[in-house]
Amino acid sequence: MRGYFAFLRGAMLVGVVYRLGFLFTILGNIVYMIIAYFLWRSIYAGKEILNGLTFDQALLYIALGSTIFILLKTYTDWGMAEEIRSGTISVYLTKPIDYQLYNLFSTIGFASTSILTVTLPTIFMLFFVFRIPFVLGAGYLFFPVSLLLAFIINFNMDYAIGLSAFYTESIWGISTTKEIIVSVLSGALLPLQFFPAAVQQVLMVLPFQAMFFTPLMMVTKPDQNAGVFLQMLAVQALWAAVTYVASRLLYNQAIKVLRVAGG
Amino acid sequence: MTLIHIQGLSKHFKILNRHEGLKGAVRDLFSGDYRTVQAVDGISLDIEPGEIVGYIGPNGAGKSTTIKMMTGILKPSAGVLQVNGLVPYDNRIRQAMIMGVVFGQRTQLWWDLPVIESFKILKEIYKVDQKMFDEHLGMFHELVGLKALYSQQARTLSLGQRMLCDITASFLHNPQVVFLDEPTIGLDVSIKAKIRSLILELNRTRNTTIILTTHDLGDVEALCRRIIIIDKGKILYDGDIKKVNALFGAYRTLKLQIKDYSEATLAALQDRLTGTFGAGHGITIAQTEDCWTDVTIDQARTPLADVLAFIMTNFTVEDVRIVEISMENVVRKIYDGALK
Repeated sequence: MRGYFAFLRGAMLVGVVYRLGFLFTILGNIVYMIIAYFLWRSIYAGKEILNGLTFDQALLYIALGSTIFILLKTYTDWGMAEEIRSGTISVYLTKPIDYQLYNLFSTIGFASTSILTVTLPTIFMLFFVFRIPFVLGAGYLFFPVSLLLAFIINFNMDYAIGLSAFYTESIWGISTTKEIIVSVLSGALLPLQFFPAAVQQVLMVLPFQAMFFTPLMMVTKPDQNAGVFLQMLAVQALWAAVTYVASRLLYNQAIKVLRVAGG
Repeated sequence: MTLIHIQGLSKHFKILNRHEGLKGAVRDLFSGDYRTVQAVDGISLDIEPGEIVGYIGPNGAGKSTTIKMMTGILKPSAGVLQVNGLVPYDNRIRQAMIMGVVFGQRTQLWWDLPVIESFKILKEIYKVDQKMFDEHLGMFHELVGLKALYSQQARTLSLGQRMLCDITASFLHNPQVVFLDEPTIGLDVSIKAKIRSLILELNRTRNTTIILTTHDLGDVEALCRRIIIIDKGKILYDGDIKKVNALFGAYRTLKLQIKDYSEATLAALQDRLTGTFGAGHGITIAQTEDCWTDVTIDQARTPLADVLAFIMTNFTVEDVRIVEISMENVVRKIYDGALK
């Protein structure tokens, strides 16, 4: 296991090597927050509550949603596709490591730098600049676990898409499609409460809501009882397990293609 | 005990026959029209611990495919393959602990990280303890003076520096066997010499088995006692380098650009060389690219200077180059029975 943490550390180092990029990520996010603030101000003009959410809750949802979006946008699928297409994957296959775990830990390392550049500044702005009232609740305790599970579900999907490079020359189409589906159906762009009731029911049985909607609900409505949150975590854990098994199975199939076709 | 045991090893690939044009490309989507390529075709060999083996052959001979089977990346189609008593493909992660691999065209260093950070990552994944790690790095520093490079990002290294670091990286966990796939490709003479002495020293002090694939016959001459020549998936020669050495050493190729070249010129050249230097002259002529004529000369039989002088006086030559014999020519000589 120590070896995999070395990958995590290495990926973090890569993340901070480029200092200018680091700074621009911080700035870009602040600009986005300001735009989102005024956009939602005008959506809420004269109204107290929309679809069961107050303005404060909606802003919290949208702003944190955007930080999770950046946290999950790790380009794992693109990196893998490049490794597979160029044959660099051979280098990893000659090392005593599991390719999926290697990618998972590298991805966590890569993403963790954005906690510094995006997540923390966002939280700071929400509570100290936009003065969103802080509601005490158990949700905050469950949020980190929920975020980690969301991360793993997203990783498993990216990993599976990366593996598709064994079969196709370009993963652009499939990766972009996944991104659009996720951003709409997961509640990343718009809280799921804003969808029609029938659509909401469908979305709740798909894995995408577990990536954004679930962790975001924990912080927008943190004052529910623990049982509700535990149930949410259970659903997430189930999806994490399902996507993990599915992507493993896909790897076992895909690696045969490499072994048949040579690399 | 034999380190690597290979018996009747084969690997064939199924390759889709692609068709031309858009129509062809669409047809290929549904095509079941495959052809089988026999990349490695029933080879057998045994490698003992501590050997340095040159595994050579022209492009597409099956070298890399064999290496990929030995390292557990590819699954053999048929035959026996054991490294240290285990089947690499079925025990990939376990086998990887005793192997080091350098692919000359790729790097195992993290592109954006300082070299030392890559070494530290490798130290963790191979579970090398700190004392051994320091000892190794100290030794590499003595051999090639790498320390100054440690703080540089891998992407800022020159090709030669990167290769030295890559070789260092592949030896960090003190593997039993190291595969070097084209380690000197694209490097200049001085760095080649450095790499060769590094490899020799590591083999000598640690008794590491080294399997070297290369296009550069100079590498083979400098490093290997044993050489295996493979072509079209079959082993042409497996044995002492000395026998083959004469073949590389004695041959030189004259590359000529002859004015007003035609098919007839080639025939005339052939005739007149035979006429002048006699039947056993050891000269072969081949037409290569558009306007180059290759005259390969066995210097043991006919001095190169004589041939050159003869050609210069009897033909109008626009340009001339002298090159060492190429891998392709060595293979051709072996087919012609040069080692019998």
